[in-house]
Amino acid sequence: MKKLILKIGLYGILFVVALECLTRIFYLGEDKPNRFLDKNNVEKWVPGQEGYAMTGNRKQNFIKFHINKSGYNSYHEFAPTKDKIEVALVGDSFIEGFHQPYARSTGRKIEDSFKQQLEVYEYGYSGYDMADQLHLMYSYKNDFELIDYVYIKLKFNNDLMRSKYEVSHSRLNMQSPLNNLLKKSKLLIYLTDIGFIDPIKSFIGKTNAFIRNNKPQKAAPAVDQNKIDKEYLANFESLVDLYGYDKEKNVLLLDVEETSPLFITYLKENNYQYIDFGNKINHSDKPTTLIYDMHWNNYGRKIIADLITEDLRSKMNLNK
Amino acid sequence: MLFNSISFAIFLPVVFILYWFVLNKSLKIQNMLVLVASYFFYGLWDWRFLFLIFASTLVDYLVGIAIDNNNENLKRKKAWLWVSVIFNIGLLGFFKYYNFFADSFIDMFQLFGYNITSTWTLNIILPVGISFYTFQTMSYSLDIYYNRLKPSKDFLSFATFVAFFPQLVAGPIERATDLLGQISSKRVFSQNQIIEGLKLILWGLFKKMVIADALAPMVDDIFTNYSTYPASTLILGVTLFSFQVYGDFSGYSDIAIGTSKLFGIELMSNFKFPNFSRNVAEYWQRWHISLSTWFRHYIYIPLGGSRVSKLKSVRNICIIFLVSGFWHGANWTFIFWGAFHALAFVPVFLLGRNAIYKDSVVAENSFFPSFVEIGQLLLTFAIVTFSRIFFRSESLTDAFGYISRIGSDMSYAPYQHPLGYRMTDYFILVLLFVLYEFRMRRDERSPFKFKNKYVRFAAYTLVIFAILLFYDSGFDRSFIYFQF
Repeated sequence: MKKLILKIGLYGILFVVALECLTRIFYLGEDKPNRFLDKNNVEKWVPGQEGYAMTGNRKQNFIKFHINKSGYNSYHEFAPTKDKIEVALVGDSFIEGFHQPYARSTGRKIEDSFKQQLEVYEYGYSGYDMADQLHLMYSYKNDFELIDYVYIKLKFNNDLMRSKYEVSHSRLNMQSPLNNLLKKSKLLIYLTDIGFIDPIKSFIGKTNAFIRNNKPQKAAPAVDQNKIDKEYLANFESLVDLYGYDKEKNVLLLDVEETSPLFITYLKENNYQYIDFGNKINHSDKPTTLIYDMHWNNYGRKIIADLITEDLRSKMNLNK
Repeated sequence: MLFNSISFAIFLPVVFILYWFVLNKSLKIQNMLVLVASYFFYGLWDWRFLFLIFASTLVDYLVGIAIDNNNENLKRKKAWLWVSVIFNIGLLGFFKYYNFFADSFIDMFQLFGYNITSTWTLNIILPVGISFYTFQTMSYSLDIYYNRLKPSKDFLSFATFVAFFPQLVAGPIERATDLLGQISSKRVFSQNQIIEGLKLILWGLFKKMVIADALAPMVDDIFTNYSTYPASTLILGVTLFSFQVYGDFSGYSDIAIGTSKLFGIELMSNFKFPNFSRNVAEYWQRWHISLSTWFRHYIYIPLGGSRVSKLKSVRNICIIFLVSGFWHGANWTFIFWGAFHALAFVPVFLLGRNAIYKDSVVAENSFFPSFVEIGQLLLTFAIVTFSRIFFRSESLTDAFGYISRIGSDMSYAPYQHPLGYRMTDYFILVLLFVLYEFRMRRDERSPFKFKNKYVRFAAYTLVIFAILLFYDSGFDRSFIYFQF
C-alpha cells in the first residue's frame, strides 16, 4: 500500500514537472504584466513590460503587448504637445487591447485614416470604470489639457456604480506575494485561464457558504430599474463635480440601446457630447465581436474608429 | 455527479481511502460504505429518485427469493417472474415511455381525422440511469428463473449490486452471475489492479474530454443548422458524431471499469474497438457489449435465437434491434435506428457471416490491414455512421431532412468551426486517435501498453496535456448516454 501511495505521489510530481515544461515549450501560459499604483494613486501596468497576451478559451489569440512609460499598452509614448494634434481614448479592456494586434487597434485605425496627422493615445486598462477614468484625467490634468480631443468609453450599467474614486484593492491584490509566486508557474496560469481551476474555486466557495450558513438563500428582491438609473446618474454628477469635465473637449462613447433613457435625456439637456456606437455595432451584417468573448474584433474596432474619425473630421474640419 | 467533475475527483479518493484503509475490517462494512457512497453519488442528481432504485432493489430481492421458493411450481414461479418484469418495465414505461405512447396515440387519431387535444402528456423527469439499473435487476430475477443463479439472502450485497456507483447510471449492465458474486466475496487489495484502473480512468477521461467534448460543438452546430449546410458538411457532421458518441460512451465505460477496479471489482468490457469492425455483426459484438449481451440472453435466445427456422431467426433479429432502438429512447428516431441496423444485419446473417469475426481482430497477424479489410472497415463504418443520423436527430423529420439535404445539395464548402478554431487540429486529433486505437486493438483494457517505462510516462503526460489543451470550461460536459 505504501509503495502504491509513494508511486502515485512520485508520478504526480513528475507529471506536474513534465506539464510545466510542455506549457512553456508550447507557450500556453500567458505573460501577466504587473500592476501598480503610481504617485497619483492611479492604477496602471508597470512601465516597460513586454510579453504575450493570450485570449480565447483555447488560447488561439496570441498578441504581443508593450507597456509604455505611462503604464498603458501602446507602442506610443504619451507626450502631448501644444503644436500637434493629439486624441485620447480612455476606457477599459476594449481600449486597452490585449486581445488585438497593436497595428490594428482602434487608435491606429484613426491615425491611419488621418494619414498620421495626429496621434491617438489609448489610455485603456481592464476594469476601469467612470470613476477610474475621470480620476485619471483629473490626476494628469496637465497632459489632458494639452490633448485636443478626448473620447471616454462608458457602459452605463457597469461604469457608474461608484460616486467617487477609490483604489481597487481587489485588483491590486492580484499582486500579492502569493499570486506573484504562483505566476511563476506557467502551468498554473494556463489552468487558471482555461477555467480548469474554476470548479475547484466554486467547490470551495460553496463549501464555505454551506459551513457558514446552511439556510437557503432568499430570492433576490425585485430590481427597481428606475431607482438604479437615478443612482447611476447621481454618481455621474458626483464624479463630474469631483474631477471636472470638459464638455467642449470630451465625448462619451456609449451604446444608446444599453443606456438608460433617463441618462441620455440628461446628457442632451446638459450639452454633453456623445457618440452612439451601439446602432452600428449591434446591427452590423458582419460579426463585430470576437468569437470567444465580447471584445470588438477587427471589424468592430473599424466601426468605432470610423465613428470617431467622422466626429473628429466634423470638429477639425479637415479634408480627407 | 459526473465522472469528469471536481466533485467526483474529491468523492472518489475519499471513498477509496475509507474503503481500503479505514473501513476494511469486514466485507459488510465495505459494502455498506459502497452502498451509502452509491446513493450519495446518485442523490446528488436528484435524491427523490433514490426511492425508485430502492423499490427496484427491494422488489427483485423479494421476487428472487419467491421464484426460488416456488421452483417446483412452474405457474407460481412464472407469476413471480412477471411481478419483476411488470414492475421494472412499468417503471420504465411510466418514466420513459408514457409521453411517447400518449403522443403517438394522439397522432394516430389525428391521422384519421379525429382531433384530440393533448392533455394526457405528463411533466415527468426521466430518472438518470433508469434503463440501466432496471435491466440489471430484471436480469437477476430472470437468471434465478432460469436456474442460473441462486437468490441472494444478503440484502446489503444485493442492494450494493444494484446501486454500485461506477456503473449505476450508464452501465456496463452487469449480470448478477458476474457482479453479485464479487460483491458478496472478500476483495483483496491489488496494486496492479488499482494501477490498471487508474490507467483506464485516464484513458476514459481522454476519450470523453478530448475526443467527445472537442467534437461536440461542431456536431451540435451542424445538426442544428443542417438545412443551411451542403452535403460535404453534413457528411462531416455525422462522421464526427460517430467519433463523439464513441468517445463519450466508451470513455464513460472505461472510467466505470477503471473506478470499479479501484475497489477490487471487475466489470465486463463494454466496447472493443467497434470502429474496426469488418461487418455489422462484428460491430454489434464490439459496441455496447453489455446491452447486446443482455438482449441476446434474455430476448433473442428465449425466442429461439438462431436455432429456429431462418424466417423465425430473422424475426428474432428484427425484434431485438427494434427493442434495442426503443430502449435508447422514447422517440421514433431510435426505432428507425434499430430498424436500420436490423436491415443491415439480416443480410450478414443470411450469408452466414455473423459470427466469422467473433474471435479475431482486423489485421490479426500483420501490422497493416489488407486492402479487403480496409474496404470492409470503411463500408461498416459508413453504414453505422449513416444510421447515426437517426440516432442524433431530434425527430424523424429532421433525420429525413438531413438525409435528403445530403442527396440534394451535393456541393463542397469548407466548414468553419463555430468557435473559430482550426478544423485541421480536429482532423489530426481524430486521425491520431484512430491510429492509436488501431495499435491497441487487441486489448481494450490496456490503453498504455508500452514496454519501455519512459515511453509509457510520455504517453501519460501527453494524454493529460491533451486533456488540458482541449478542455473547454464553457461547455456542458454531461454524458450522452445519461439521457437513456
